[in-house]
Amino acid sequence: MSTEPRFSHRNRWFTIAVVVTALIAATSAAMGFVVLPSLQTNTRFTGIWDAICSAAGLVRAAPAGQPVVQANYKTTDVILSSSTLDGSSAISIGRGATLAMRCTMCHGTRGVSEADSPNLAGQYIMVIFKQLQDYKSGARTNAVMTPRVADLTDRDMRDLAAYYAYLPRLPPYHPATAGPAPQIVESGAPMRNIAPCATCHGTLYYKTGSAWLEGESSVYLQAQLKAFASGARHNDISEQMRNIARGMSSAEIEAAAQYYANQPQ
Amino acid sequence: MTEHADSATVAARMERRWGTVSIGIILALVFMAAYIGVHQGVMPQPRVETVDPRTLHIAGEFIESNLGTAAEPDGSVTVRAIGQQYSFTPQCIVVPADTQVTIRATSADVIHGFLIEHSNVNTMLVPGYISTIVTRFPAPSERLMPCHEFCGAGHEGMWGRIKVINKAAFAKLAADQRRMTCVAQ
Ligand code: HEC
Ligand code: HEC
Ligand SMILES: [Cu+2]
Repeated sequence: MSTEPRFSHRNRWFTIAVVVTALIAATSAAMGFVVLPSLQTNTRFTGIWDAICSAAGLVRAAPAGQPVVQANYKTTDVILSSSTLDGSSAISIGRGATLAMRCTMCHGTRGVSEADSPNLAGQYIMVIFKQLQDYKSGARTNAVMTPRVADLTDRDMRDLAAYYAYLPRLPPYHPATAGPAPQIVESGAPMRNIAPCATCHGTLYYKTGSAWLEGESSVYLQAQLKAFASGARHNDISEQMRNIARGMSSAEIEAAAQYYANQPQ
Repeated sequence: MTEHADSATVAARMERRWGTVSIGIILALVFMAAYIGVHQGVMPQPRVETVDPRTLHIAGEFIESNLGTAAEPDGSVTVRAIGQQYSFTPQCIVVPADTQVTIRATSADVIHGFLIEHSNVNTMLVPGYISTIVTRFPAPSERLMPCHEFCGAGHEGMWGRIKVINKAAFAKLAADQRRMTCVAQ
């Protein structure tokens, strides 16, 4: 074998290998960064540097499209996050208890309603807070409830939510004699794009923002489901509950409401 | 000496052949990728765009009143949709046949799948990122759009519908609506 150094421009093999590799790299780069992006129908080719940045995954803003269409009804402004309501202290609960004196005539002395107003005892803190915010902003409207929140501050709503969330909730009551849970609750209606109620509202799984429904009045539950289905209630984030209710039959609405409302007499 | 020179020539020839074959393979692969990109429309996402999944409903292009199909001035349409546990909004997407359709979609919570049967559309909706897909549906038809990425306990109930209608019917819809869907139809 020759004693020539291997990595030297005098070694013909070495030079050729380097040149060919560089050519292949340049061809592939041109193909990937220039030719393919310029053929793409959904983005205008705006230069090599831009194309390289896009291909490399740098975050780019889309060119401004048409103006966003705003709704002609109010939707919710609430951001759900587990940290929104951190630190509900004894002080907060105590303050909430005082404020709640004005709510007892409809929502019960301990948050369990005797009429068809919803129970608030043991409701998830995020749910109470969100619903109060929505009544106040007008995303959810109700002739009875809307006037009650007009003078509540953010802090009041937090404290009321902390207080009601702290009260013991009605436990589920589904004795074997009542028969099996309705299909819509346990398995939903997958053929109609309806997930089981229990995957969001509890027992199977819980999705943040969904309400505790056990022990709620059947009249109230049915009214809410019908309101979601018709769009009269539209404060659920991005239609997550309207999408469910729209596909339900009236028999299913009744069955689900009866099931959740069931309590010992 | 001659014997040595001979074997050096043979070695050089073999080296050249192997070199040619391997370079040929690499070039064939590069052109294959390019061919698929050009002729079968298999293109990567054109650019990376981000969005805050927690505030989709408050402002920006993914608020509920802006979702659905928008007719663009250039004759194409843009579809905006979101995936969330456990439904797509809008639940039914209406598009014209034989028209360029740009789909822009994202997720409000976890990773969802976005697939339209009998088409090239198959991507993931990743919270925080906007997925963009350009496609074209040749003729009026109805297609299913299942979420094909396990997204939680209610995943099996999560799917949407695509309704491809003829151009004239779509133009009629677009005459009095700015965002079109076929929800509850
Ligand atoms: C005059 C009766 C009345 C009073 C007083 C009242 N509420 Fe209500 N509340 C209702 C009714 C009725 C509803 C159901 C309204 C609907 O259908 O949207 C309701 C709904 C609610 C909800 C939504 C519950 C859910 O599960 O979605 C919350 C939270 C609530 N009230 C909190 C309060 C608080 C806090 C107060 C006191 C500051 C209060 N309410 C005072 C009658 C009342
Ligand atoms: C995808 C998750 C999901 C599924 C599945 C679901 N819900 Fe809901 N539901 C929600 C969320 C989230 C809310 C709260 C909406 C809001 O922000 O106001 C809600 C609200 C409700 C309310 C109003 C509660 C109140 O006190 O205001 C009722 C009643 C209800 N759901 C019943 C049902 C029934 C019955 C089913 C099964 C057929 C069901 N939901 C399935 C997510 C879900
Ligand atoms: Cu999904």
